[in-house]
This record gives sequence, C-alpha cells and structure tokens, in this order.
Amino acid sequence: MTSVDNVAKNALPALGADRETRLPSLWVSWLLTRALPAATFCVLLVAAWQFMSVRLATPLVPDVAEIGRDIARIVADGMAAKQIGITLWRILVGFSLAFAMSLSLGIMAARSVIVRSFLEPAIVLGLTVPGLVWALLCVIWFGVSLWTAVVSIALGITPALILNVIQGVQSVDAQVVEMAHVFRLSRAAKLRYIWIPSLVPFLFSGARLGFSLAWKVIVLVELFGLSNGVGYQLNSEFSSQNVSGVVAWTIVFWVVMSVIEYGVLQSLERRSRNWQRTSKV
Amino acid sequence: MSEALHFRHIGKSFVRPQNGHVETVLRDFNLDIARGELVALVGPSGIGKTTLLHIAAGIEEPERGTIGFAEGSKGRVGMVFQQPRLLDWISVRANVDIAADAAGIDRSRGRAALRAVGLAEYRDAYPLTLSGGQRQRVALARAFAVMPDFLLLDEPFSALDELTARQLRLLLQNLWIEDVPTGLLVTHNMLEAAFLADRVIVLGGRPAQITKTFEIDLPRPREPEDARIFALHRQIIAALS
Repeated sequence: MTSVDNVAKNALPALGADRETRLPSLWVSWLLTRALPAATFCVLLVAAWQFMSVRLATPLVPDVAEIGRDIARIVADGMAAKQIGITLWRILVGFSLAFAMSLSLGIMAARSVIVRSFLEPAIVLGLTVPGLVWALLCVIWFGVSLWTAVVSIALGITPALILNVIQGVQSVDAQVVEMAHVFRLSRAAKLRYIWIPSLVPFLFSGARLGFSLAWKVIVLVELFGLSNGVGYQLNSEFSSQNVSGVVAWTIVFWVVMSVIEYGVLQSLERRSRNWQRTSKV
Repeated sequence: MSEALHFRHIGKSFVRPQNGHVETVLRDFNLDIARGELVALVGPSGIGKTTLLHIAAGIEEPERGTIGFAEGSKGRVGMVFQQPRLLDWISVRANVDIAADAAGIDRSRGRAALRAVGLAEYRDAYPLTLSGGQRQRVALARAFAVMPDFLLLDEPFSALDELTARQLRLLLQNLWIEDVPTGLLVTHNMLEAAFLADRVIVLGGRPAQITKTFEIDLPRPREPEDARIFALHRQIIAALS
C-alpha cells in the first residue's frame, strides 16, 4: 500500500528544475542572513570580553587565551565529553518523562474544562516555584541518584510544556475537525493527520523551552547533590576559584546545546514545515 | 422516485451571543429528498439553510425531530464546504485517500476523482501550492471519492471568481451525471441553484418555512446559457424579494 505521507518534494517539474539553479544563491543567502550575523555576535562577544579582561586586569575576568587553554584541557582529556554525556543523559530522561506527561495531560486539559480547572493550580504552582526549590527538595528526597535529576527536571519543565500543548490543541482549526467528522475519519486517522500535525509547532517550541529550562535545573541538582556532570564540574572549578574553568565548562556545554538546537531541533522543525508556503516579501 | 433522505419536525434554536436571547431558527421543519435528486436551498442570510445542512452532515444535532436515510443506504456523506478545508500538511492525493479510507472505498476511486477534476498531475503537490480553484477541485474530488450516498454542498463556489465558479459548476454537473448521488445544495447564487438543482426550495420567515418550491425539469447536461435557466433565475429572485 502506498503511504499517504509519501509526498514528493518536487511535485511540480518546473519547480524541481528551478531548485538546482537556485541552490548557490540559497547558500549565499543563508551565509549572509543566518551564519554571518550569528558569527558577528560571537566575534563581538569575544572581543568585548577580551577588552574587559585587559582593562580590568583581574583574575576574576580571565583573558580569552586562558579560557581557550581550559577549554582545550577539558576537551583533550575527554572530561568534557564524559561529563556532558552524563548531564545530557539526565536531561534526556527527565525531559522525555516531562514530555510524555505534558502531552497526555495537555490534551486532556485542552479537551475538558474540568481537567483544565483541576490542573490549573498545579501549573501556576509549577511556573512560580524556582528550579532551585525542586533541586533542593529532590536532593533531600532521593539523595545521589538518577531520580533526583529526572524528577526535578520533570517538575521544573512539565507546567510550561503543558501550557504549550494546551495552546496547540486549542489552535486546531475547528473547520478541519468538522470536515473530519463529516467524512467519518477514525480516531487514529484524526490523531495522525490532524491532531499531531497541528501540535508539531507547539511541541517544537515546547521542546526548545523545555531543554533550556532543564539545563538550568540540572546544573543546580548536580551542584547540590550529585558527584558528576557539568553542574558538579562548575562547582568544582568554582571551589578552586578558577573562573576560567567555570567559563570554559559553560562555553563547551553551550556549544553542545547549540548543536542540538541548530542541528537537531531546527532541522526537524524545518522538515515538519516543508508543506508551508513562505512569503517572498 | 423513492425517498432517500427526510427531515421530520426538525427544531433548532440558538442563543444570540450579543444579548443572550434564544432565537428559534427551525420549528417543525419537514423536507423529503428523493433518491438521485439535487435540492437547492435558497433564502436570506441567517435563515437556517446551513443549519439544515449541518444537521444532515451530523455537525449539529437538532433539538427536536429526526433525520432519516432510506433503508439499504450506507449513509455515506461527501461534503464540499465554502472553503476547501484541506489538510495543508499532506499531499492532494493523501487528502483524497484518507476520506476514501474512512468510507471503506478503494483508493483507485480517489485517483479517478482526481483525474475527473483535472488534477491527476498535481496529486503529489501540497494544497498550499495550488490556486483557490484547484483547491476547491480537490475538495470536489474528495467528496466524490467516498462514493457518497448524500452529497452536501455548502456554498461550494461562493469564494471563487465567477469564471472559476462557472467551470466548477460544469465540472460538478459532469460528476453528478456519472454518479447521481442524492444532494443538498445551499447557495446564495440563484443562477447556480437553477443550473444545478432538480428542485429549488425558497426559505423565508423566522422560524424558517418553505415559502416556494421550483421544480426544474431540465435534462442534464444543462448549458449555463440556457434561456430557461435564466427565466427560472428571475422567478427565484422574484420569489425571494
């Protein structure tokens, strides 16, 4: 059976032929509009930091070369890969748990006023309680274990994710839902062809928000209650009064999170939106 | 001709959001539609035409009364809305296929419907890459792909320019001649009603009542320039005003 999702990218021959001739100009456009501004920001940031370091001449603001040496040290001895791997694994497990809970609770809350009213106080509570509180409580409750990280991340990001899912479900076009009803689409078909595609943009923005919140929570958990991970390393460098080490760990983790953001999330998001028509103005 | 669809003692009210008043749109409304007949409902805006269509489609429930299908009918409904209501994130073919799948009809029927509306070569395109007229053609193909026992048409061409609308009316007539389902058309275009329908029902008053009925005994295929259709058009306008 032919899959109904098997959509040819170049449905119209004329457009397909045009794509090849447009490729170089697309690359130039990407370089000028996307890569160059981002690279300019990074260069300016490094320059400003170096300027500040030279002007202040204090060990509290190490110069760029010193930070570079620390980055090279933690990357070369494999420490960065190992510790970031540990932290990312904790984020992934906690995020997956939060995502699954948010999806089911969010859909139920969007479809039922009673469920929404029931969950509302919990969502407000979750949004207002700082990640630090969850980190401390989980360290007290679970001690040194994966659960500490997983539960504190889940508690920290689930409320924001639920709100995203509720907005996504509520944004589903009522006219399309009516059409599906008239043509008697099955529940599975509605879920596959209407609900999930409508939710995708909200799930991506939720995933992005969730990852950034999870990172903030996990650092606190690792700092207070665990004996490895990026948060623990940050604390260790802080205890040694090595500001350069703190900045080096932050930069390395930022690079990894950027790869996830640009390489994975944005790429998947673009693929999920390739049906959309973009404006030329 | 045997009866295919009937509305019996239908009642329906709405609460006006502006002032909270309850407004009865339909009270004790009755209508019989014969098998293979295309009935057009015309009347002023807000009279209850679309409400009747939505009740037939199962989108709305009547407060009173029943709607019945003929015995032996599978009750398969195909509907063309004012807007195409396509799923923009899947291909043209997939839009037609999911409707055929839901109705338990072979997908080859959907392919044939796409060929009939002249969109076979666009089957792998996403709907947003098509023009408004092409999108409405896809909606027509989707409606016919389910081999409908009842075809419901809710101002299907009112959002299109007159030239495209005229082409699609001719296309709908051709599809109708091949399939002959039973149909209910809601339109504000009296010429469209006279051209397509076997019977034009004029609604008036509040709650809506049938104020006049025009039987159109013209054989198909009909020509849009047929003087008899223009004459009917004038009579319907006169009945409305």
